[in-house]
Amino acid sequence: MTLLAAANGISLPGTDDPINVSQTVGFALLAALMIWAAIRVVTTRNVVHAAVWLVVVLAGAAAQFILLAAEFVGVTQVMVYIGAVIVLILFGVMLTQAKLGNDPNLSRRNWYGGAVVAVVLFGLLAFATIDTFEDAKLPEDRRMALPAAEVGDGEVPRTESNTGAVSDAVFGAYLLPLEVLGVLLTAALVGAIAVARKD
Amino acid sequence: MSDLLRSYLTVFIFGAVAVGLVGAVLGLGSFLRPKRPRPEKLIAYESGVDPVGEGWTQAEIRYYIFALLFVVFDVEAVFLFPYATRAEAYGWYGVGAMALFIGILTLTILEAWRKKVLRWS
Amino acid sequence: MSVASLLAAADTVPAPDVEWSALSPFLVVVVGACLLLPIAGLLPRRTRVAWSALFTIAVALGAIGASAWVWHDLSRVGPTERTTVAGAYAVDKFSLFLIVVICVGVILATLLTEGYLRREDLPGAEAYLLYLASASGAIIMVTAADLIVLFIGLEVLSIAAYVLAGLHRRRLRSGEAALKYFVLGGFSSAFFLYGVALIYGATGTTNLVGIAEYLATHRLLDEGLLLAGIGLLIVGFAFKVGGVPFHVWTPDVYQGSPSPVVAFMASVVKAAAFAGMLRVVVVALSTHRLDWQPILYAIAVLSMIVGAVLAVVQSDVKRMLAYSSINHAGFMLAAVSTGADEGIAAVLFYLAAYTVLIGGTFGIVTLFGRRGDGHHDIDDYRGLARREPFLALALTIFLLAQAGTPLTAGFLAKFYVIQAVVDAGSWWLGLVAMLAATISAFLYLRIVLTMYAGVTDADVEVAEPTAEPVRRIHVPLGAKVAIAAALVLTIAIGVVPDPLTHASRTARPELVAPGD
Repeated sequence: MTLLAAANGISLPGTDDPINVSQTVGFALLAALMIWAAIRVVTTRNVVHAAVWLVVVLAGAAAQFILLAAEFVGVTQVMVYIGAVIVLILFGVMLTQAKLGNDPNLSRRNWYGGAVVAVVLFGLLAFATIDTFEDAKLPEDRRMALPAAEVGDGEVPRTESNTGAVSDAVFGAYLLPLEVLGVLLTAALVGAIAVARKD
Repeated sequence: MSDLLRSYLTVFIFGAVAVGLVGAVLGLGSFLRPKRPRPEKLIAYESGVDPVGEGWTQAEIRYYIFALLFVVFDVEAVFLFPYATRAEAYGWYGVGAMALFIGILTLTILEAWRKKVLRWS
Repeated sequence: MSVASLLAAADTVPAPDVEWSALSPFLVVVVGACLLLPIAGLLPRRTRVAWSALFTIAVALGAIGASAWVWHDLSRVGPTERTTVAGAYAVDKFSLFLIVVICVGVILATLLTEGYLRREDLPGAEAYLLYLASASGAIIMVTAADLIVLFIGLEVLSIAAYVLAGLHRRRLRSGEAALKYFVLGGFSSAFFLYGVALIYGATGTTNLVGIAEYLATHRLLDEGLLLAGIGLLIVGFAFKVGGVPFHVWTPDVYQGSPSPVVAFMASVVKAAAFAGMLRVVVVALSTHRLDWQPILYAIAVLSMIVGAVLAVVQSDVKRMLAYSSINHAGFMLAAVSTGADEGIAAVLFYLAAYTVLIGGTFGIVTLFGRRGDGHHDIDDYRGLARREPFLALALTIFLLAQAGTPLTAGFLAKFYVIQAVVDAGSWWLGLVAMLAATISAFLYLRIVLTMYAGVTDADVEVAEPTAEPVRRIHVPLGAKVAIAAALVLTIAIGVVPDPLTHASRTARPELVAPGD
């Protein structure tokens, strides 16, 4: 930990703000992994491999959430996306008559259009985000390896996760949506049975 | 909150050790073993008999409904986690709210049972 | 809500105050939906469909009754609006008005579906369950005071609607419609959710009151995030109402879906989407009117013109009506784009009138489709007036009302829109609206004339011997009731519009601060 703490003492020339080295490095590594996996999702010619590369992207996103101390979102990402959505995608692939192995004839004639849309959307979102947040810093209580003394005078450093806060929101202001979510899932399943059942 | 992330360092180290161990064993194996690649070695092993057809087949649609049922209760589990962290503070209110949520979701089981999705004929 | 404030609140047990009376219309529908499932399982198979339909209608009537009660309560005891469940769900006259419209849509669709399911020999109880589930999503949407709640309502509404589109499992087109609706609907939901996320990023809250307050008190230096969010939200809404250029799904889905379901989609889904648009864009984001007004203006103009022109050149009646619904959506969007109270009242009046009209129109289209729901080519309607004089007359009235003929519900609907637009100073938009109304009148007259002109006696004699004899159309009881009710309402609203006009003017969407 001393190494980490020492690394976090470095600051940009001209500012007192210490750079959050460990968190930044972690973010960069994960981001690189996610971009690589995302490119593989759209370039691989095997549908099943694409789904598995998607798992890597989603797992990377989960790790990013945990890096931001958003524990609950991270766990949800793992459970729902990697656990359930990917299962559904794989089932979906297996239900179709599509060739599951390599398919050299996989139609990608319109990929220019898709690429243009993706680049435009990326540009728009990146511009909007950077324009709004510029060099805003992560809230202090969510930075990694912040020495306990710096938390604030007389304030006990918080060690518990914020999952309890999420719970308070879900069972407080968002109680109604929670119950409606139950109705949503029920309706979805009833619909799926109505559509998929053969008789 | 730094302690939270520090506690995840354990997870990270554990993961790194797991990956490293598997990598080391496999790497050592490929380093030591003789290499004589042959096409036969890539055939799926099927009790000594040559495999017929492809490994992938079109799955039945009813598996999809099982998968969907799984999703429904997966989402339920996701909401159980935050509830569990605060269950004592909520007392009976929390029990009621969660029971209602789970009760609504149980209707999906009822519907699946009514439509004989759960029966394998 | 920042993490810090959440943590500060963490030591209090939440248990939000729930104002049960205000929540009652929604509860009636949700509990009804949840009860229908076990009840349908217990009923004997043969009468299941009829009893489920009756139960659904009873639930919808109950919700209307509850809304009327809450409306009365609101007028009598004071604050015109109140919030229930900690600022997530706001009940005001606006939401009550639309809940009634939604329930009327559900009743009409249910009455038509009953006969349809029996004619097509489809197993049925889940259709009603999906209607009720979808309606509960719509009710959430019209009452939501929080973008997250609104999104969940949108999803409940949409997912049930996707399945309803594919209800006729043996018809390939129905499955195609469901798939198209699902895929494109999924896209639009993603856009909407992205918009919600960006607006949260810009204002730090998803609560509509919070957003309005934040924007009123803060001057944003960089509006990129907020503007992108508003744009994405409008895309999501415009998709649901079928505004050009987000309309491409409409013709295929309307053509392929079972006809009674189209009546449901055109009324309930549209009402909910417009409610969301009014409350979020017009009311909560009113400080940024100059930013969203041009977008809505453009979508409105395109919808009116494209809908009217493309409707005229179709040869399938259901496709024609799909394009005409785009045209109608354009009218309502024009009223929305004014951002004024008159515009909101005009939209509400239009939605109420349109729900009745579309219910009646698709009721008759359902019957004309005959078994298989496939006889919708304009040529199939030739000479129908001779064989089915009553149905043809009823369809004529509904179509003329859609065209905006005086003394019907459709006239005042269009009139109020144009009045609101002109009052807001948009002369050009008013002019475009009148032009579009004229073009779309061609379309309705074309269907009417085809029914009345068409076949002479000689043609029938020549054509019939080889073809199997055309049987008279069997009109099930449910359809009779639905069409008669729609007819009465169409004429009644046209002749005595005052109650509805008054109600639509009182029903302003409010922003309800939690804790009021």
